Amino acid sequence: MFYQIPEPIEDILLVFSYWDHILSGFILTMWLYAWAILIGFILGLILSILRQYGGKILKIISTSYIELMRGTPLLAQLLFLYYLPTSLNLPTPDWAVVSNFSLFDKNFNIIFLNHRTMVGIIALGLNSAAYQAEYFRGSFMSVGTGQLLAAQSLGMSKFEGIRHIILPQALRRVIPSWSNEAAYLPKYTIVVYFISVQELFAEAHYIVAFTYLSLTTYIIIAIIFLVLISTISKGLDVLYNRLKIPGL
Amino acid sequence: MMSETKKFLKSFLYLIAGIIISLIALFILFPKLYEIASYITIHGLLATLLLTALGLISGFALGITLALMRIYGATELRWLASGYEKLLRGIPILVLIYIFLYGTPGLFFYIDLRYRPIAGVVLALGLRSAAYQSQIFRGAILSVSSGQIEAARALGMTGSQSFRHIVMPQALRLALPAWTNEYAVVIKDSSFAYGVGIVEMTKAGYDFGVAFRELWAVSLGVVTILYFIFTFPITRLFGEYQNKKLKKLGMGGGS
Amino acid sequence: MDEYVLRVNDIWKSYDDLEVLKGVSFELKRQEVKVIFGPSGSGKSTLLRCINLLDPPQKGEIYLSGLNLMGEHVDLNEARSKIGMVFQHFNLFTHLKAIDNISIALRRVKKLTKEEANRKALEALERVKLAKWADHYPAQLSGGQQQRVGIARALAMDPEVILFDEPTSALDPELIGEVLQVMLDLAKSGTTMVVVTHELGFARAVASEMIFLGEGIVIERGTPDHFFTSPKSERVQQFLKQLTILYGTHEKLLEQGD
Repeated sequence: MFYQIPEPIEDILLVFSYWDHILSGFILTMWLYAWAILIGFILGLILSILRQYGGKILKIISTSYIELMRGTPLLAQLLFLYYLPTSLNLPTPDWAVVSNFSLFDKNFNIIFLNHRTMVGIIALGLNSAAYQAEYFRGSFMSVGTGQLLAAQSLGMSKFEGIRHIILPQALRRVIPSWSNEAAYLPKYTIVVYFISVQELFAEAHYIVAFTYLSLTTYIIIAIIFLVLISTISKGLDVLYNRLKIPGL
Repeated sequence: MMSETKKFLKSFLYLIAGIIISLIALFILFPKLYEIASYITIHGLLATLLLTALGLISGFALGITLALMRIYGATELRWLASGYEKLLRGIPILVLIYIFLYGTPGLFFYIDLRYRPIAGVVLALGLRSAAYQSQIFRGAILSVSSGQIEAARALGMTGSQSFRHIVMPQALRLALPAWTNEYAVVIKDSSFAYGVGIVEMTKAGYDFGVAFRELWAVSLGVVTILYFIFTFPITRLFGEYQNKKLKKLGMGGGS
Repeated sequence: MDEYVLRVNDIWKSYDDLEVLKGVSFELKRQEVKVIFGPSGSGKSTLLRCINLLDPPQKGEIYLSGLNLMGEHVDLNEARSKIGMVFQHFNLFTHLKAIDNISIALRRVKKLTKEEANRKALEALERVKLAKWADHYPAQLSGGQQQRVGIARALAMDPEVILFDEPTSALDPELIGEVLQVMLDLAKSGTTMVVVTHELGFARAVASEMIFLGEGIVIERGTPDHFFTSPKSERVQQFLKQLTILYGTHEKLLEQGD
């Protein structure tokens, strides 16, 4: 059934001999993840505030954006963005922000930013924003409109009310469900493989090309993701428990 | 209660009508769009729907089993089901697909070579979906108020009778909003079949772009719209609104 | 032994370390109505759930028309179909219409055909004066109507005894009367009932015996007259005083219905 001879330990060690590739891929995955979460958070928060408290037009625009991004595949969105310059006949400049360093006799050459990586980050960020916006919206709804009314009746502007009354509560309440999105986002960074960004999954292909150990390699990659996600999830849980306020 | 339903359906139908009208207008203004859309539909839609349907159905079968294991099973079964859920939720779908198609190439030996990619994707989608559907149904079953189960037993119904006739009918209704959300997730995940050479909608859009480079982005934009047509109306119709309706009927919400 | 529909013998029930029932016994003849009352936490509801073995006791026996329900080879589900139960929170099946709420057990447990089941269900609904509401869902019915459907559901099974677990405690005051009226009619037409309730007017009207349960044991038992004229224990006296202050008004409702 397997075309490799089942000597699993040997295979695992062979795959791990490419640890420099695994590490570089992992670093890039984390890099993409960090930017995606950050952009997604800021944009998502703005979107949900506009959707919940904005005027009619703003409401429609933000809702349409959210529903569109959530109702369509990340892959299609990414490819659309990537081929946009081609369609508009714009040249794609060949630039890169690279990091070069050595670790244990292995040379690392990680491209942190170039045209493709940037498209990937933007796509992931825009997509994540829509999902995060939904979490924020639920949180706003649970805080309720009563408190904002009270703030306004005291003379605060809507903006001030949101900033000082709603947000502090909403942001605290959103942590459990938001941690869900935050913990599982690394899974989706894989999609940039399709535009030749050398993150973890792409590196896995590289390793398979040299070792022919496809099953072992992919399983190891899967385990790395599993561990990463569990760690983030657990970490956020611990953080949440430390920050909990009774009754909130 | 009646007028609220009518109001919602009315606004929903207006929305749908609006989308259809704007689509038709777009196609008339830009006939090229229509050409793209029909290309994608003809070449990719069937595969997308097939993958989605098969993935959802197998996910449903396994998911319900896991949910039952977690609720009614012995400690080892519960542990097993819970572990399965955690495992499948933490692995990217593409990695899962690659494991089944390239990691274990002999897995689908009994299937014709042409259809093996589809089998691999369906397996990956199904296994993943089962983990999420298990959660959905477990929540739905548990939220059927326990008092009703008590009443059923007091009447003399056996455990399986009360489950079949009292718990399940309500649990399925309660699960509907979350389940349509899962449907949307699966149809979006089916786009990853692009990576293994199956011509579904995303690949079809990409292929069109390869042939007509200036229309590459447009083609993918059309793909996006098509996906949207298949997700938005359904999730809107059966989503949050259903939740409110169910609460009104007194279903769910614990004992 | 057969003259007793129900014999509850020395029931002991505890949850982990908490002893809820500590040796409770009573018996019930055909067409008798017994009322169990007492402070909350005294184990009244637990006692009822022990009787139909929804929550089996640790020690003691339950005899239903001579059959030991805790013996081997006893089909519990069949036994339960002969004991009716009416719940404090109604526990109607929310996804079924009123008539289906009643007919489902008739079909599934007693294996009646659909037509027979519907006929019996309609009869039961008529007895509780809700025949017109047969096609309504529980959410469309008031609390009092829901409880009456609950009573009809138990009635339709032709049980040997019906257990009532604080049937009016969850009802708004205006709705209590209609349910009490139905229960009165049932009692007067000869239904064998065990009722846990605070409605002393009901007890005074139809109970053959009242049992005061406190902290898991029977503190006092006797006819309603006994309790209302000269109760022995001080506990009971205090309790009755508090109740009549709270519930005194219901007497009027019952007198009207008579």
